[in-house]
Amino acid sequence: MLNYTLRRLLMVIPTLLILVIFAFYLMRLAPGGPFTSERPLPPAVMANVLERYGMDEPLYVQLWTYIKNIICCFDFGPSFAQKDRTVNDVIAQGFPVTLTYGFWSAVFVLMLGVPLGIIAALRHNGFWDYTMTGLAIFSQIFPNFVLAPLLVLLFTLSWGLLPGGGWNGGQWQYIVMPAIALGTSYMASVARLTRGSMLEVLGSPYIRTARAKGLPERTIILRHALKPALLPTLTYMGPVFVYMITGSVFVDVFFSTGGIGQDFIDGAYSRDYSILLGLAILYAVLTFALTLAVDLLYAWIDPKVRAGLS
Amino acid sequence: MLSVENLHIRFRTGDGMVHAVNDVSFSVDTSSRMAVVGESGSGKSQIALAVMGLLAKNAEVDGRILWNGQDLLAASPREMNRIRAQEIGIIFQDPMSSLNPYMTIERQLTEIVEHHEGMSRRDARARALEVMDAVRIPDAKTRLRAYPHEFSGGMRQRIVIAMALMCRPSLILADEPTTALDVTVQAQIMQLLQDVQSDLGTSVVLITHDLGVVAGFCEDVLVLYGGRIMETARTDTLFDRPSHPYTRGLLRAVPNIEDPSDTLIAIPGSPPNQHRFPQACPFAPRCTDAVDTCRETLPQLRDGRACLRPIEELT
Repeated sequence: MLNYTLRRLLMVIPTLLILVIFAFYLMRLAPGGPFTSERPLPPAVMANVLERYGMDEPLYVQLWTYIKNIICCFDFGPSFAQKDRTVNDVIAQGFPVTLTYGFWSAVFVLMLGVPLGIIAALRHNGFWDYTMTGLAIFSQIFPNFVLAPLLVLLFTLSWGLLPGGGWNGGQWQYIVMPAIALGTSYMASVARLTRGSMLEVLGSPYIRTARAKGLPERTIILRHALKPALLPTLTYMGPVFVYMITGSVFVDVFFSTGGIGQDFIDGAYSRDYSILLGLAILYAVLTFALTLAVDLLYAWIDPKVRAGLS
Repeated sequence: MLSVENLHIRFRTGDGMVHAVNDVSFSVDTSSRMAVVGESGSGKSQIALAVMGLLAKNAEVDGRILWNGQDLLAASPREMNRIRAQEIGIIFQDPMSSLNPYMTIERQLTEIVEHHEGMSRRDARARALEVMDAVRIPDAKTRLRAYPHEFSGGMRQRIVIAMALMCRPSLILADEPTTALDVTVQAQIMQLLQDVQSDLGTSVVLITHDLGVVAGFCEDVLVLYGGRIMETARTDTLFDRPSHPYTRGLLRAVPNIEDPSDTLIAIPGSPPNQHRFPQACPFAPRCTDAVDTCRETLPQLRDGRACLRPIEELT
């Protein structure tokens, strides 16, 4: 198992390298650049600026410098568009924000979605099943840009319970609505996924065996059915969790939370190459980490997978 | 000990009622071995599931299933759970899917006695080892920690049998215990069941479509067709002098090892449509001896057979 984990971690290096090279060249293929504007800079000024950011060198030299700085000093370079800020600064400021509300959003998704799915499965074709399934479908098709204003309308404007935006160091009042707005449709998917797999597991022969043992229903659900029923949800949650903790552009913009979702959009508009590359690397690393975590969790749950790993 | 009286099992399905078991009555004595024989769809497995209270949700059941005087069909889920495993054990057909792939063998065995007899984990493990030895699983101590996928089919079926034995029940329902196994392994498993039966004095109801298995193991046989009892007799009698044309048909379809040149005679036709409650002998459409009355009246079980024209009266 340790061996497997190490192997997977080693795989990260070449993959990241390929990703960086591709992203680096692709971005520069797009027309325009960080310093193009409606009124072009005088050629002398432009030359100065380009020299300052090392952009007068050939592309492969720039790429090499970029990679070298990351490896030697963990330096992702200066932002091209935001003066006097480095990529490290931008991520250090924005990522904790999205990590916080994304994490709580994932907690909300799992703590609500999984139990709802299980209850619906246990009350199969009953009142609660239909209610739950109906609600799940409704919230799945309910876009977050409708949900978020609705939340603000109710919790901020009507009841005055929660602040309508801002971050304020991440106090809980500022986390609630971003987390709900971000998570609701995923929560609905998780509920439906859990319901379906729980129903399938409950109909399986080994659950019949468990019933034939005369075990109480509680034990059958918790000990025999829960683990296998959670496997599809686990697979689903890996990439979704990455998406959540890297924040959503919509949430950052609507609630003015100041997370990296906002930075990504700003970076794309202003062709801020270094910010975009830095964020792409962050996404890639997180995706790697989470898929590895999901695979290890799988191995923990399923002895057959575990046997395959060692 | 177990007495099934006028058992009817129907299933509500998308295209109407299916009458799976119709008016079946039989009883099982202490320390006996009985076989329920029939082709697929004859309702034999449903009888076992009805006794365990494990029928599918769309089933409707009539009649009585008396277990030491208590009607299991009227028992509360709590009472039913007490009887399951502790008094009546069941062995399912497919050992590949009837064990939980996510739990160790040990946990799947120990949880039974921990729950029913309030045993500590240590005592439960000791009992599990004992039972694993009894079903002849080699190296039981280390194998306890293994998962189902680490065992062969035959070994898994031994584990399923071990599960049924954990609480030393007085009745074991074996629902096609050897169907999913290789022929050589089949013989070993049947031998094992026989040893266990005689050692523990447990009664066994063997549900099977394999007459060869019946001959070596059971004292009494009950032949089912279309959810009805066709014939019931001592095993020797049934094999020597079958009384019902269906039983004779079944026996003719079994290869004879002493005379391989013997041609096998298949029963023509196919199993009955069970959407309607039978109004006539369900076997009549396939029976070579059937006359008009067979197609009009429903024969009742008399002298161990439900036939208007039993073989011995024809010859």
